[in-house]
Amino acid sequence: MNLQLLISGVSMGIVYGLIAMGMVLIFRSVGIMNFAQGEFLMFGGYFCYTYNQIFRLPIVVSLILASLSMGVVGVLFMRSSYWPLRRAQAKAIIVSAMGASIAFKEGARLIWGSIPVSMDRVVEGTVKVGTASVQWQHIAIIGTSAVIMVAVYLLLEKTFIGNIMQATAQDQYMASLTGIPVVFSIGLTFALSAMITGVGGGLLAPIFFLNNVMGATAGSKAFAAIVIGGFGSVQGAIIGGLIVGLVESFGGAYISSTYQLVLIYVVLIAILMIRPQGIFGEKIQEKA
Amino acid sequence: MKKVMALVMAALLVLGLAGCGSKEEAESKGEEKKTTQAAKSETKAAGDETPSSSSSEEASGDSIKIGLTTVLTGDRSLEGQYASNAVKLIEEEINGAGGVLGRPVEVVIEDALGTDVGAVNAYRKLAADEDIVAIIGPDSSNDGMAQSPSALEFKILTTAQGSSPTLRDMCNNDNEWLFQLRACDETLCAALIKYAVEELGLKSFAILHDTETSSADQARLFTEALAAYDIEPEVVVPFTTGTKDFSSQIAQVQNSGAEAIIGAAFQTEAAILVTQIRSMGMDVPILGSNGFADPVTIQLAGDATDDVYCASAWVPNTPNPKGNAFAAKYQETYGEECGKAAAQIYDHVSIICEAIERAGSTDRAAVRDAMNTIDSYEGAITTYDCRTNGDCGRGGLLVRVQDQKAEIIAEITSEKVID
Repeated sequence: MNLQLLISGVSMGIVYGLIAMGMVLIFRSVGIMNFAQGEFLMFGGYFCYTYNQIFRLPIVVSLILASLSMGVVGVLFMRSSYWPLRRAQAKAIIVSAMGASIAFKEGARLIWGSIPVSMDRVVEGTVKVGTASVQWQHIAIIGTSAVIMVAVYLLLEKTFIGNIMQATAQDQYMASLTGIPVVFSIGLTFALSAMITGVGGGLLAPIFFLNNVMGATAGSKAFAAIVIGGFGSVQGAIIGGLIVGLVESFGGAYISSTYQLVLIYVVLIAILMIRPQGIFGEKIQEKA
Repeated sequence: MKKVMALVMAALLVLGLAGCGSKEEAESKGEEKKTTQAAKSETKAAGDETPSSSSSEEASGDSIKIGLTTVLTGDRSLEGQYASNAVKLIEEEINGAGGVLGRPVEVVIEDALGTDVGAVNAYRKLAADEDIVAIIGPDSSNDGMAQSPSALEFKILTTAQGSSPTLRDMCNNDNEWLFQLRACDETLCAALIKYAVEELGLKSFAILHDTETSSADQARLFTEALAAYDIEPEVVVPFTTGTKDFSSQIAQVQNSGAEAIIGAAFQTEAAILVTQIRSMGMDVPILGSNGFADPVTIQLAGDATDDVYCASAWVPNTPNPKGNAFAAKYQETYGEECGKAAAQIYDHVSIICEAIERAGSTDRAAVRDAMNTIDSYEGAITTYDCRTNGDCGRGGLLVRVQDQKAEIIAEITSEKVID
């Protein structure tokens, strides 16, 4: 039982980590929490469904195409929901993102309908590990997500484009003075954020099926993961996601299946009481 | 390079959306707000005894308006999609056969948003329109109960789609304007447990249920039905609506050693549950509420639904000739199987039209009084007896899913108790 819970907890947690990582990238870039991130998950799932079930493309190809399509969606989202309001108060941008979230959900309903859909798995079947019976798709989720996380780390830390994105995230004004195309850099960040989250949707859909509200709960758990891991920290988002997944899995089995979400927030509060800045967050102090 | 990349990405996006174009068109058509009557139908469904005149002339004059509060947006919008599609078909059928009192029927839809507040607001908007003769409530019992005080206030015939016993009691005892049409869950849950214990010989059960009102109610009814056989569930495991990963819940069920699992949930959760139960190596029989034999559940969960037993109000391959004809018409028109929510709307509109026809007028009080005289109306789902307001529906179907088909084991009927 515990192995079963561990694997499902890690596979859910790593997807929460993917969503959280996407949120953190945008937060670091423009200082705003994107409350439509869960909808990137849902839209990515639907793109994958379109390529896989309507165009009958192999699932791996569909995942790649869905990810690229989500890159475009990310840029469009940035241009429509963030860019026109970039000089407005943060509250206005947050409300704009919330509005976009509703638009995404209802847009998906109009395009793909209300009936939940499914698609091919990356790997079919289950594997017996001790007494636990584990779906290969869970293993595929863990593996793919880990690869994406490493790739994003390398992109940010080891490439010129990553440096541009990091520089823009640190100080947009200074970045523009050094000749960095800020709008390009921010657009790229939104695209990357949407791409990695969208892949999560394509990976989860064969197990949990796709409907237009699939991103809502996952988005709120990813937000909890960010707070636990520390605002602005990419590695914190991943660790936070794993903590959320494991608390959900083990807490549901041993404490209460009804109050899984409550348990996540209890852990969140407990961590914040010990480390208010989150696990990897930096302490912010006002100077005297 | 930037331009090339941008072009490639834009092309991919357009390609993706274009692939869904036809579906988008079909579905958005099905969901648009009904404001026009469709009196020009050239087809009449086989076996369609319209509730009104037997005339084959088309209806004319001012339309008779029936209100419908259903969920068009948000989490439960599947209900609204089925309902909107069904409204189109029933309007065509009735109006093509001469309408009601010689006038066309028009169903006016308001979005109940999937919340009780939304359901009440939608209801009050419709009720305030004096041309609306009767109102159909949403699929949720909870929303139906929330609309009850407004039905009393506006004094308008209201048919609730929910099937909870609390709603039935409210209809029978507290609100003379409110009618429950679907067979009460009490009847269906008891019939399923009777079959499981007496026919399948099962002796130990674990219950997995959603915490939303109707599923929690069903879990309670299953527990009470088991108690009649001196059986206590080995474990009762609730989960919240929207749960995706059921590993922790199923692990508890596995540990309990139960011979069978009883589930109470809507379609999507039911499909995920069944799939995960099977993937975790449990091949025990699963007994479920309506959602477990729904076409959507079977389509999503596929082979995992084998050995799922269900006491259901509706399956598309119903033996009811009227239901069968409607299911075929629905499949032909929309290219997908007819769900319960569509069949329900068909029956609700039909029976309200029958009441209007019996009343001979569109006066709200006269229509309500006429509704109370309906004692054996053959609908697509079941036979209706509305002499008491609650539990008008007289039965359902006991089904077993095998090879992704819901096979009917028996018909469930209950006698109407008239004091």
